[in-house]
Amino acid sequence: MIDPRATRRFTRHRGAVLGVALVVALVAFALVGPSIAARSAYESDFVSGATAQDTPVGPSAAHWLGTDRLFRDELARLAIGARISLVIAFAATLIATVLGALVGVIAGYFEGSGGLKVPMVTLAGLAVSVAVTIAGHSNFALAIGAASLLAGYAALRFAAGSRAAASLRVNADTALMRLVDVGLSFPFLLLVMALGAALDRTSVATILLTLGLTGWLGTARVVRARTLQVRALDFVVASRALGQSTWRILLGHILPNVAGPLIVISTASVAQMILAESVLSYLGVGISPPTPTWGHMLFEGQDLYLTAPWMLAAPAGAIVTAVFGFNLVGEGLRDALDPKT
Amino acid sequence: MTRYLLRRAVWTALVVWAVLTLAFIVNNVVPSDPARMVAGAQARPRDVDRVREQLGLSQPIAVQYGRFMRRLVHFSTARRGDASGPHGACATLGWLHLDFGKSYQRRRPVVDIIGERLPRTVMLALAAMLVQVVVGVGLGMLAAAKRGSLIDHASVGASLLGVSAPTFLLGLLLQFVLAHKLRLLPLDGYGSTAAEHLACVVLPALTLGVAGAAYYTRLVRDELISVMKLDHVRTAIAKGMSPARVWFRHALRNALVPLITVLGLDLGALVGGAIVTETLFRWPGIGALSVSALLDRDGPVILATVVVTSTAIVLSNVLVDASYALLDPRVKR
Repeated sequence: MIDPRATRRFTRHRGAVLGVALVVALVAFALVGPSIAARSAYESDFVSGATAQDTPVGPSAAHWLGTDRLFRDELARLAIGARISLVIAFAATLIATVLGALVGVIAGYFEGSGGLKVPMVTLAGLAVSVAVTIAGHSNFALAIGAASLLAGYAALRFAAGSRAAASLRVNADTALMRLVDVGLSFPFLLLVMALGAALDRTSVATILLTLGLTGWLGTARVVRARTLQVRALDFVVASRALGQSTWRILLGHILPNVAGPLIVISTASVAQMILAESVLSYLGVGISPPTPTWGHMLFEGQDLYLTAPWMLAAPAGAIVTAVFGFNLVGEGLRDALDPKT
Repeated sequence: MTRYLLRRAVWTALVVWAVLTLAFIVNNVVPSDPARMVAGAQARPRDVDRVREQLGLSQPIAVQYGRFMRRLVHFSTARRGDASGPHGACATLGWLHLDFGKSYQRRRPVVDIIGERLPRTVMLALAAMLVQVVVGVGLGMLAAAKRGSLIDHASVGASLLGVSAPTFLLGLLLQFVLAHKLRLLPLDGYGSTAAEHLACVVLPALTLGVAGAAYYTRLVRDELISVMKLDHVRTAIAKGMSPARVWFRHALRNALVPLITVLGLDLGALVGGAIVTETLFRWPGIGALSVSALLDRDGPVILATVVVTSTAIVLSNVLVDASYALLDPRVKR
């Protein structure tokens, strides 16, 4: 299943090995970090965590990475933040990859296929009917809508080949890809804030779902482009000619052949999701405090960077390390799976 | 080509309309009360109701949507007139009127606010683009020319690190070093004279540009390396063409197609407003406006920024596709 040459290329890639090491270290930190940190991430330590001037203390034996402005242990908070970041990034990537692969493969496979023929007459009529509804005459609009449907049917049935039958083809590909267009130009922040407001309090699940349900659009485009190449290959044409069902062709032939780029994209996507989560919590629309997130810790640290530089350095270092690690792995995978460049 | 562009124009309008409608729905189902935000937390319920009535928020969503869409694009021979008149909040182009209504918070026509902010965002976008292209293409060519050397490894490593740093972190770092420690540039803001605008745009443009340049370096390097292996380049070298001419005329031109794709999409995204960077550097553009409008629940402004953002993105997509036909003779529509 896995090409041994690809494995060798990956293990000889110095960047990839460094990336794997960073990722493993990060996962280990997220798993055991909260228990090694001697202090709780949520409790203020007024005894050894605060100075006489009521400012947070720097790295010390009691607090390895110092404390934040409420004298909570920075290391423990960083570890919880790592857990949250990784859970969100992995789960959101899983959602985005599955959705993106499905949509991309279906759209690519059905590109140029028959689909639904919508006569221009109908389209124009429906547009007028929408306009009339907006103007406030709904009965009139209903009549126009019905008439345009009838006119469209007549155009297709009786005027085949003539100008009146001019129509727009809507198949799975155009429908899905236009949906992707809309999604890609929809302001992502509005959606997150709306969700946050609707649910009153933003939780891990909210952010994870939002990132996952908006993250598949780019994946779908790449998978579609790749599917267009694969479906023209002889073995796909052959299995179609032999009468294999469309689902079997999609899952058994197309999907395995788009797996390479898909793995590369999803690794890079983990890095993107970590970044996106940190941006959201930095802007104050992410997971609500007191839950520690890297982005929010950085936000708190930026005002105190002169008196307490560790409050800025710790989350900043964590974010860059995590994203860099996943990007390196993605890079190594790309070189291993697609050795052309 | 004309038919193709016409079809794309129709799709563009449809996509923008769909995005706008979605945004309208999302904006309206959010359980928040713009009337309460306008009237203030201490206002009496009666006053809040009065404000709600004035803003037209007491009507059903469908009616509000109808009114909004009817006003958005309409034809009228009337001049704009004064601010309280029937066309007081319109941007006019001959008989074509564009009307987003008035901002709840700022009490000004939204088209005026957008008209004031869009040029600033475009200025920032162009400045960032300049940084990206100059640094990205330069480093990319250098890395490709010296493939396998220290310069190559350093620029590949740096570009990966650049892609991995969040914008706000990069911005903070630049702000700290260049503005706070060295005092070379203003910390943030927009300034009030043309010279000040130029000084103020440098930091946010660098912040946006460095991240983008990192990506371009990688793209240009990889593309050049694969183009340099092609037959026509080998022929050009074999017949004794000067290296500079081979690189610029035969290699770079071929590498331009994928670059233009990314460039166009980036420009669209940047014109739509760089939310984090604009907020961080207090650059009064579309991105910063959309954040403050979201926090204020200022419906008309939110919808206007959504339209600007989505139009910029969709149009840049169309421009990219159209530019293929110009750049690459193999692409025929």
